[in-house]
Amino acid sequence: MKLVNAPIISNTEVLPNIYLLQARAPEIARLAQPGQYVMVRCGEGYDMPLRRPLAIHRISKDGIFLFYTVVGRGTAWLSQRESGERVDMFGPLGKGFEIYPSSSNLLLVAGGVGIAPLLALAERAIDSGLKVRLVIGEKNAAKIYPERLLPPGIKPVITTEDGSLGQKGMVTDILPQFIAQADQVFVCGPLPMYQAISKTGKKLKNKPTQVLLETVMGCGVGACLSCSIETRQGRKLVCKDGPVFEFGDILWDKIAAPACSGRC
Amino acid sequence: MKSPALSVQLAPHNKKGLLLSNPVMAASGTFGYGTEYAEVVDIQRLGAIICKGTTLKPRPGNPQPRLWETAGGVLNSIGMENIGIDALIREKAPLWAGWKVPVIVNILGESIEDYGKLAKRLDKASGVSGIEVNISCPNVSAGGMEFGANPKSAAEVTAAVKAKTTLPVIVKLSPNVTDITEIACAVEAAGADAISLINTLRGMAIDTKSRKPVLGNVCGGLSGPAIKPVALYMVYQVARAVKVPIIGCGGIATASDALEFIMAGASAVQVGTAIFTNPCTPLDILEGIERFMKKEGIRNLTELIGAAL
Repeated sequence: MKLVNAPIISNTEVLPNIYLLQARAPEIARLAQPGQYVMVRCGEGYDMPLRRPLAIHRISKDGIFLFYTVVGRGTAWLSQRESGERVDMFGPLGKGFEIYPSSSNLLLVAGGVGIAPLLALAERAIDSGLKVRLVIGEKNAAKIYPERLLPPGIKPVITTEDGSLGQKGMVTDILPQFIAQADQVFVCGPLPMYQAISKTGKKLKNKPTQVLLETVMGCGVGACLSCSIETRQGRKLVCKDGPVFEFGDILWDKIAAPACSGRC
Repeated sequence: MKSPALSVQLAPHNKKGLLLSNPVMAASGTFGYGTEYAEVVDIQRLGAIICKGTTLKPRPGNPQPRLWETAGGVLNSIGMENIGIDALIREKAPLWAGWKVPVIVNILGESIEDYGKLAKRLDKASGVSGIEVNISCPNVSAGGMEFGANPKSAAEVTAAVKAKTTLPVIVKLSPNVTDITEIACAVEAAGADAISLINTLRGMAIDTKSRKPVLGNVCGGLSGPAIKPVALYMVYQVARAVKVPIIGCGGIATASDALEFIMAGASAVQVGTAIFTNPCTPLDILEGIERFMKKEGIRNLTELIGAAL
């Protein structure tokens, strides 16, 4: 982990209320693994005492991208920063996704902005010569991740709830089509999506599945215990033991909604 | 001008003493067991580290959500999740034994006897430089603040701890009382070597969309810059009432904040919430205090302690 006052290269609204921020931070980029996050300091002085945990969206040689929704005053402040300004980042933090050496076909399932950490994983996997199937589900076409921003070689399968783009329905509806070919599954999205997957769990049962959780965090390093959750493997800290967990280890009927607000 | 003298003795009447190389400490509950931030903070330069509050048995803590940001502050209701005293002595204390920075263990009991048992367990543990007695946690149903809310039980807890240990004993006070000086005088009379204040102020937040309290436990403890003036005045009041050293805590984020507490009578300060904002805050504060002293021509920190009283 590093503390970096990173220059912003660009920070633009790429979808309504959703921003893509590119920052120069080679110290973080060098260490970053897909699924890890950075804690971003928001506001001036100590007006906003808590850093915002944001998933690392893409990793380049000399920096990282963040893909974030404006959900409160911290992200609102961040969205107003312009290229040339600096942003104070602490990271990379947490345990990221793990691709098993034996895997050759990966299924990545994104609900909404849950695509944020999955794109870094897709790029890493493609670079390693693996086959990646990315499925994105959203409410409507206007919210779907812009194709022009996708890294080369990634052609996502799209579902929308209103059928305005791709297949009509929920992302979970079409999972059965792709499960059979996948060696591993990676999911990131809102809690209702996770709960829907857990209910149809039998379809996933034999596939190792990793999930990324989100919660309010204080420290990001396991010092404050704000993000502690009960799992089938005992108490775990989302900030340090996660944010990536084995899907089957999470107690989906027990997890509190705001502890997993669905905004990755 | 040579570097100003920053060291402070927080337990002058205790045989072991509690000598800090400088007055800036990391507050309990914000710095884990000292190792968590070590990759980005030179922890050995801190005046002291107060570890996470520890109970006799491990505790799972309160339901989620446990943390919420407010204007210039943070509400928390962790609920004393911790590994318990046995694991602390077995796994954490041996690491501390090799450290330059003193580590003080924050303890919390559900009964007065618990506090005595905890103190006894720590008495011979190598790597432990002192005990901070937590009679001020607002987030547990049994113990904690209940003991800090009246002078009699606060004194009883203090005496129970003192009877079982020769380590320096700091008692951490709650601001959620009518007259904090009354409690401070009671724990001083019961043998406290030093007093730290304040713990968090009770508060809550409501989610207007769900129309329900935000925190899983409804009530939490407010910390951060928002509480600084409250904490400062309480330190000022207590400094006029007791003779033992005082450790100021509550919303300290800058060297100027720390200097205010020192001038109000604190011999040392604890930094908590501001560590989340910037893990380097305690060391930035330390450098800021040093700069201030050089600029003002002050050779020894003791010249500033209580300057505003």
